[in-house]
Amino acid sequence: MKTLSCLALAVVFSVPLARAQPSFKGPMPDATVIVDASLRRAAYLSRVDEALIWRAAMAKPGEPKTFGLGEIVSKLARREDAAACSERLIELMKAPTGDMFWMFPVTAIYYLGRDQLTPEAKAAVREAWRAYMPLRGDTENHWAMYYSSLYLMAQQWPDEPGERWFNGKSSQENFAESRDYLLHWMELTTTIGQGEYDCTHYIGEYAIPLLHLATWARDPAMRQRGRMMLDYIFADYAVETLDGMYVGAHARTDDTTLLEKWNGFSSFFGWLLLGNCPPTVSYGGWGIYFVAAAKNYELPEVIYRIGTDRAGTYTHYERKRTRHRWRNSDVRNAPVYKTTYITKDYAVGSDQGGLLQPIQQHSWDVTWAVPDPRGVHNTIFSNQPHFSTHELMMYFSENPDFMPVTVTSQGKPTYISESKLLGGSPYEQIFQRDDTVISLCHVPAGANFEQVNGFFSKDLARIEEDASGWIFAQGGNAYIAYRPLAPYEWKPLEVGGKRLRSPHGKNGTIVQAAAVAEFKSWDDFKTAIRALPLEIRLEPTPRVAFTTLRGKKLVCAFGAAPIVDGTTFDYSGWKLFAGPYLNAEVGSGKLTITHGALERVLDFKTVTITDRVKP
Amino acid sequence: MQTLKSKLFFAAWLAALGGYAPLGAAAPKHDLYLSVLLSGQGQIMGGRAPALSGVYRSTDRLKVEHVGFGHIRMFQVIGDPHSADGLYLAALNGVVHSKDRGKTWRILTGWNMTEPKGLAIDPNATDHIYAGLPDGIAVSRDRGATWARMNDGIRRSYTQTITIDRTQAGRVLAGTELGIYLTEDGARTWRLVQPTSETTYDLRQSPHDPKIFFAVTTSSGALWSEDRGRTWRPIAGVPKKHTLHNGVFDPSAARRLVLCGWDAGLLVSEDGGRTWLDRTAGLPNRQIWSVAVDPDQPGRLYASPFQQPVYVSEDFGLTWNPAFFEKATAFNLTFVPRS
Repeated sequence: MKTLSCLALAVVFSVPLARAQPSFKGPMPDATVIVDASLRRAAYLSRVDEALIWRAAMAKPGEPKTFGLGEIVSKLARREDAAACSERLIELMKAPTGDMFWMFPVTAIYYLGRDQLTPEAKAAVREAWRAYMPLRGDTENHWAMYYSSLYLMAQQWPDEPGERWFNGKSSQENFAESRDYLLHWMELTTTIGQGEYDCTHYIGEYAIPLLHLATWARDPAMRQRGRMMLDYIFADYAVETLDGMYVGAHARTDDTTLLEKWNGFSSFFGWLLLGNCPPTVSYGGWGIYFVAAAKNYELPEVIYRIGTDRAGTYTHYERKRTRHRWRNSDVRNAPVYKTTYITKDYAVGSDQGGLLQPIQQHSWDVTWAVPDPRGVHNTIFSNQPHFSTHELMMYFSENPDFMPVTVTSQGKPTYISESKLLGGSPYEQIFQRDDTVISLCHVPAGANFEQVNGFFSKDLARIEEDASGWIFAQGGNAYIAYRPLAPYEWKPLEVGGKRLRSPHGKNGTIVQAAAVAEFKSWDDFKTAIRALPLEIRLEPTPRVAFTTLRGKKLVCAFGAAPIVDGTTFDYSGWKLFAGPYLNAEVGSGKLTITHGALERVLDFKTVTITDRVKP
Repeated sequence: MQTLKSKLFFAAWLAALGGYAPLGAAAPKHDLYLSVLLSGQGQIMGGRAPALSGVYRSTDRLKVEHVGFGHIRMFQVIGDPHSADGLYLAALNGVVHSKDRGKTWRILTGWNMTEPKGLAIDPNATDHIYAGLPDGIAVSRDRGATWARMNDGIRRSYTQTITIDRTQAGRVLAGTELGIYLTEDGARTWRLVQPTSETTYDLRQSPHDPKIFFAVTTSSGALWSEDRGRTWRPIAGVPKKHTLHNGVFDPSAARRLVLCGWDAGLLVSEDGGRTWLDRTAGLPNRQIWSVAVDPDQPGRLYASPFQQPVYVSEDFGLTWNPAFFEKATAFNLTFVPRS
């Protein structure tokens, strides 16, 4: 199993103590949109240098433990201390550890050091790739790291026999296998969606290998594919950000970022590429391996604009896929339908509910904009706390019985807790229209935790429990109306704020968000919500009929397709991307990125990028 | 911990006196291979391993030596019928082969085959290797040089275990997510011979009577066949609440069986599965990951309780002593012939 959160790995391997990091500790960046391309590039390169300088300076003379792979890659990227880097690298190659998380750092070091490292250091690296067998892993982010690194190193050391490689395969075999996997994954992602989609941390585990391919692959087509996939992933990210924060539903996030929306590796990319939020601690930890090659990438202006310069409120739709299902499913990759509604003040995002990912799924939330997101829990949501061997068997090939408890010691401590706020449930069904979310839960008797948890942040400006049954709240410039469908109690949270615990299996939540500016007063907002037609029925199965603030008549019943304004909602025509900025048909391999007059088309079938400025 | 170290020392001392491996006895004909995780439950991929996991070998039943690379997920070791020095592994990285007893390795499978759990070589067609994968069955007809997926007819193709009928080339039984499947044409076609509600974890053919097969499952208990796996019946008296990991015949006693599982502990039958005796007493917990019967020493049994030492019994489970490691999860214990 998997699998580990990259955050935990970053702590283990990559992140030195957070000493003064200018942008991490400093004031909020000036989020003014930089129109001039050369100034935008200069600002980007300045941020690259900031991270490299900081990390390179972490190595202290006479303290080998401070001089790790991250420091070496930083120094080599800055073309400094090559002799010391060589000496230290020889030591580090004597005891490799970290599997695929070792492969891409060493790959970056070798490529950056080709004209800097001593022959002895290069030989040490070469020997390590013979003697040390990294785990290939069991998730797509593992395989992206493993095969992109193996591709580049097989390219670097061609025509060598199997005896020279850890896996006994020749250079040609390793190169071909790596290429085949990478092409397979790119096709899968661009035709039926990414498996580990919209991850607040694992975005880096894809972006870094792709940048390395875009930088160092000698085959022009693979280099181009690397660049195109980077654009693809960053466009996918930018369109669902609110001031750099990744919002809405995620395949994978963690207990920290779930609440403090900014505090994920994805925000490092917000800082670096969009310049509109602070970086996370240590520049995301692994971020240094992106930064080390970052001068070879330029975020297209059209994506930059999507992330920073929006004309107004929009709704964005995506179709993704679950990661591979091994058991308990007749389909390998089930579709995931995402909706994200974004204003300048808040965002509402969701998937359709269900077990779409193991352990770390986050299905819906409202996130509000804040002046400085650091330490702020600027979100509200509910979930149906669920854990099961059924879930774990679906996505992992491990033996069943030991897994739930074991997961909690593998960087996912809340997995079996009734107070958990992270994770999906087979007993939750979600529908979103505009900035309204209806989550219905039908938990069978005897299932783990017949309840719903709601997160109410310490940073909500107001919370009022209304006699109507609504809970009214305000976060930043967002008004939020939250309607539990069953009786509840309040539980304090150690991190601040409180948890709404509703111990009933037939249950759910309605949330309606709105901008403060839409109403003359707080009381007007409450009056408007109270006036919205609402019918709630919990027996025999939960059903809600609700007319939203935007005038949509929604009827949601658990186990049935939603009805919108009298028409049954059909997911079958759902596109890979649909909205004002990103559009792609399922199976097309073609993504059209648009902002105003700017357009970029990524066509993976022809491996071409087409830019144009529309008249 | 001191107590455990003392026990381990005592075990080694006993062994040295001939208690575990009689020095005067004939040299073992098999090596014991242990596929273990030694780094605790918290060990994750990419994490710094506090202990060297992977495959360990014991040639004398007294001590173990690490073999090959230190991975946390190694699922099965089998011998290579073409070479006494050859080994095949089912490991997270794929099917892996060593021609020199583990000094060097070659991954035989490619990117599209991950995490094989079960591995078997046809004794009547020794170039033919079968691997059970999370998404099907892979077959090689050339000792692993090339592979093809061959699971036509299997619904929900997760495959945990594979056993080949030693009486007929190409006759293979597979333990899958939803039952036991049989092929009689080298995996070209499969048919369901026994449905189960969840995964079948182990399938064995009796060393005494090739018509008899024994299977254990996640929630369908233990199963028994007396017609070479064509039909099956449940074995009474075996728990079904949690996963049974291994079901094993004693090669030195025709009617003696042993099985183990999560919370099931370790159960022994002396009458061909009619009745079962709980032999977990003396083991530190009832979460038994694997069990193996020593083919070279009648009555000797090895068992791996979850996150505990691997234990040995000289009286088929009546008494136990720690034998190897301090804290292990042994995914597999197996004996590989030396020649």
